[in-house]
Parts: sequence; C-alpha cells; structure tokens
Amino acid sequence: MALTNVNSILIIGMAGGLAKITAGLLLKTYPEATIVGIDSRESDQFLKDGRIKYQRMKYTRSNFEKLFRNNKFDAVLHLGRISHTQANPRAHLAERLDLNVMGTNRILELSLHFEVKKVIILSTYHVYGAYADNPIFLKEDSILRASLNHPELRDVVEMDQLASNWMWKYQHQIETLILRPCSIVGPQIRNAMAQYLVTKYVPVPMDYNPMLQLIHEYDMASVLVHALKYIPTGIYNVATDESMSVHEIKNYMNIPYIPVPVFLLEQLAKVINRTFWSVPDYLIDYLKYPCILSNTELKKHLPPNFFKFSTREILNLIKQD
Amino acid sequence: MELRKLSKLINIRLPKTLDGDELNRIFAVLERRHPTGEDPWGLNLKKSRESVKIGYPIYKHYFKTRVIGAHKVQDRPYMVVSNHSGQIAIDGMLITAAFILDIWPPRILRSMVERFVMTLPFFGSFVAANGAVLGDRSNCEHLLNREESILVFPEGVRGVSKSTNEFYKLQNFTQGFFRLCLKTKTDILPIATVGAEEFYPFVYQARGLARKLGLPALPLTPFFPTLGVLGIVPLPSPVDIIIGDPYPIPQDLSPDAPDKLINEHVYRIESIIRDLITQGRAHRRKFWGTYLLPSVKGPYGPH
Repeated sequence: MALTNVNSILIIGMAGGLAKITAGLLLKTYPEATIVGIDSRESDQFLKDGRIKYQRMKYTRSNFEKLFRNNKFDAVLHLGRISHTQANPRAHLAERLDLNVMGTNRILELSLHFEVKKVIILSTYHVYGAYADNPIFLKEDSILRASLNHPELRDVVEMDQLASNWMWKYQHQIETLILRPCSIVGPQIRNAMAQYLVTKYVPVPMDYNPMLQLIHEYDMASVLVHALKYIPTGIYNVATDESMSVHEIKNYMNIPYIPVPVFLLEQLAKVINRTFWSVPDYLIDYLKYPCILSNTELKKHLPPNFFKFSTREILNLIKQD
Repeated sequence: MELRKLSKLINIRLPKTLDGDELNRIFAVLERRHPTGEDPWGLNLKKSRESVKIGYPIYKHYFKTRVIGAHKVQDRPYMVVSNHSGQIAIDGMLITAAFILDIWPPRILRSMVERFVMTLPFFGSFVAANGAVLGDRSNCEHLLNREESILVFPEGVRGVSKSTNEFYKLQNFTQGFFRLCLKTKTDILPIATVGAEEFYPFVYQARGLARKLGLPALPLTPFFPTLGVLGIVPLPSPVDIIIGDPYPIPQDLSPDAPDKLINEHVYRIESIIRDLITQGRAHRRKFWGTYLLPSVKGPYGPH
C-alpha cells in the first residue's frame, strides 16, 4: 500500500499556521494534487487557492464521512489536535478527549475503510513529560509519562497511544506515521511555548534552566511533506540537533523578563492563569526539567542538512516578527 | 573588585586569583570542544568560566589541591573512576576543576549525579551548567560517543556518606560503569582523592532518619545541623588527587558478559584505587584539623 502518486490529500486542522505552510509546500511538490482542508475555525484568504478546498466542519460530525466517500484521498494529515492552552478556554478535558481521542479514532477508521494509503498524525513532545530523571535524548520508545503529573494531558497521551496501537495493528494495510515534534516556533505559529518565548516581562524560573529544542515552522512543514513519500510507518521524534537553555534564549532575544523562583511561578500561574496568563500549568514543568528528543530515527530518512533554520535563526525571525 | 579594594585598605592579603590570560587560554580550548557554548545536558561555558574564576581560590588556596600524575592523562575520552568521600560531593567538584586547571589540554569532566541533585533549585542548574549530568546509562553512552570524559563514583551514595569510623574504606563498586566502558570501548582512568574525608572529621550518618525523610544521606556533625548552613562549611583539609595509569578496556569481553567475568576487572580497579589511596595517605599533608581526628584503626591503618 506504499504511496506512489499523491493526487488528493486531506488536511485536518487547516486553519492552523503549520497546516497552511504544509499545504503550500505540498502544492509546490505535487502541483497536480488537490487538497481538502477542514477545520472548525474560520479560514482566511490564503486558503482560497483553486487547488485547496476548505470546509469548516468538525471531524466528529457525520458529514466528515461524506468527505471520504466523495474524495479518494491518498493521504491524510491530522494536524488538528486541540491543544490545552488559554487560547482554547472552552476546550475542557472532556471536550478535548472527545475531539483528540475519539476524533482521531474516527479519522483512522475512515482512512482504513476508504483505503487511504498514508496517515500522518501530529502528536507532540509533551507526551513524554518533563522530569528531572529524563535522560537527555528521549527515544521514541520512552515511556509516555506526561499525564502522571498533569492529568489534563491525558488526551494528548491517549491520542498518541491510540494511534500507535492502530499503526502496528494495521501496518500491512495502511501506512501510519506518528510525529512527535519539539516546540514548533515561527511567525505563523501561536502555540503556548512560542508565545512564552516572545512575550515581554513573563516570569522566568531563576532556579532552573532546562534546555529546549525548537524547530522552525517551515522545517516542520518540510518534514511533513517529506514524510508523505519517504518516511515509512513508525513513530518519529522531530527535532534538530541543537538545543538552547531558557535563560540563554531570553538573553539572546534581548527580551526583558522577570526572574522568579519556580515555587512562586507555580502559585502565580494558578492565580492569574484564567485572566492574563497564556502558559498552561503543565508547561512550567518544561521550564524546570528537560525533555530533549533524540532525532536519530528520523534522520535515517532525511537527506543531509535537511533543516534550514538554526535555533539562533529561528529566534532572530520571531524576534523581528 | 570591591573586596580587593577593601582588602588593600585594611591590609589583608586575599588569595591569588586565576590570571586572566591563563583563563582565556583554558577556555579557548574548551570553546573549541563546545563551539555553541552550551550542550543538551545543560553545560554552559559562560557560567562554568565564572565558576572556575570564583572557585579557583577555593581549589588552590583553601583546599590546596595537588594533582599527582597529571602527565598520565592523554587528550582522549576516559571513564574517570574515583573513590567518593567527604559527605557532600566537593571531591567531584575538585576533580572536575583539576581537569580544567591542572591537566593540559583542559576538558570538562561530565560527572554523574543522583536524580535528587537535579531536582534541587539553583544547585541542579548550577551543577548542570558546570558539566554534571544525571547518572543515567543512556546519558553516559551518548557522552562517551561524543568523545567526552565522564567522572563516576562507583561506590555511589555509600561512598560519600560514611561515618568517621568508615573513613577511607572503599565501598564495593557497582558494575555498570565497566559494562558501559566495554560497550563504548572507553579506557578507565583510576584516580584517588585523599583529604576529602577530613572536611568533616566527626560524622555520624543518621541512615534511619534519612530514609524516613526521603534523603539519600543525613550526616550529623558537631556543627550540623546545630549551626545551620554555617555548619556545612568544610574544614580546609588539603586535597591530593592521585591519578593512576589508564586501565585499558579488554577488547575481547562483551558488555553482556556474566557478572563473574566483569567482577574480575571491577575488583582489579577497586584494588588499584585502594593502592592509590594508601599511597596518597602516606604523603598526606597535615593541617590543624588532622589533630582533631580520632585515631580510627581501619583495615588500611589509622588516620
């Protein structure tokens, strides 16, 4: 069932910054292909390219199945995981479990039923959890411990595990890829970590200084496009070879910040999270302990010098933005 | 700088600091080894330069550290294996400093530390910035594969947390370090630290209480915890770091060899380090604290 021709692609989560860049790159790589993009959010002008059909819908609804029936998709890119941030205040755990776990299950079932050749699921490095005893360079087979300290991350871990089980069970019928990227950063990305890094006067732990890995949105989109044809079934961490400490990032960007001890930061977050704060509670762990990914598996399938942006270049770009 | 001005004013001589040119010469080499100034384990050259600058008088003038056998160290990766002593891991810091200040070309030893250390606010990130890493097999393997040298204390917490009557008694070594050396084909550099046990001459390890409090060890001394933080200031015992001949790793032994075969080598390394300790103690420099020590008769002679 290997993917040879890419004619029709479904992108879930099309209104997101990464999906838009990926769609652009896909059309550049496969000019004959058509893309169906869906999202529950509003779209903008960019998506009005003739080769992209955008539909506003939830992938848990019944008309989602119609999409599969009416289009013969060669590949499905699931980039629509609902994240746990202040940006989605209504996305409570039950809702996220429904969308992320039940929704992913539905996507996989439909993909299998309608003979999609390849499914790519975008998970996150958050599944591993940040812990003091994390070895540097977590491999893909490391235990997913995110929800031990933060039960609110259960949906993220369950979605990843559901996809992993599915992947091995149906590996001879459908190619499934699970990508666990480090923090994706770029002008079009508005995730919690990206916002934390560019925001002035945010509290930064003074007593801890873990290393962070960043990947530019363009590089991440390139991995997704490359994965479509050249990366086989499996789970892959996505990260560059570089890492930089939180303090070093803030100093390099020359952004003023408020150094506070972590115990104060945790209390501060609890008090103001609902009003001003855009960093979810669990992210504080990632500002305290390391969660560094090993990219060895992925690099086996990438050409040399695949990543275009170094960490410093990424920071320069978001600083200018 | 203010301290220097004050010392001139009241005519007290401060210990000599490290010459700026010398520091630049050392860090030029280290910057070549770590071009980005940081690494994924949290090493930070800027911070370690500061630590070397501040720590130099403590290393050279307070503990009067001597390195014996520096010429035996070549510019290649080693698994540096040492005895552990002194209640808190000051010996680890002194060995790390020795590899920067007294051995050429300098290198930052990556010392393996307990998980507990990494959870400590300020201290965890401080030791990481100075090269320490969580004692984990995959960390070790990655570092050795990157041609870094590692510092291990195979006695573990049992070694560092000894009561006075156990001073200089080498505890049994674990085997993990040797299997890793076999896997990564890294030679072992045995070393002994003499002098660190006398940092706190009278120690009782409250092991039961430590277990109840969830601490790896709880040393009680006449000054700790009675004097609080002041009680943990170590006495200025002169420290000797004695470097042995590199122990070549056997090429024909598998890292998964049975314990019996591995233990042969581990016992040999233990015995080399025991001999180095005995040599070091024979030439031990005395200081006023030495006379406070009770004459404990251990298997290797009285203190």
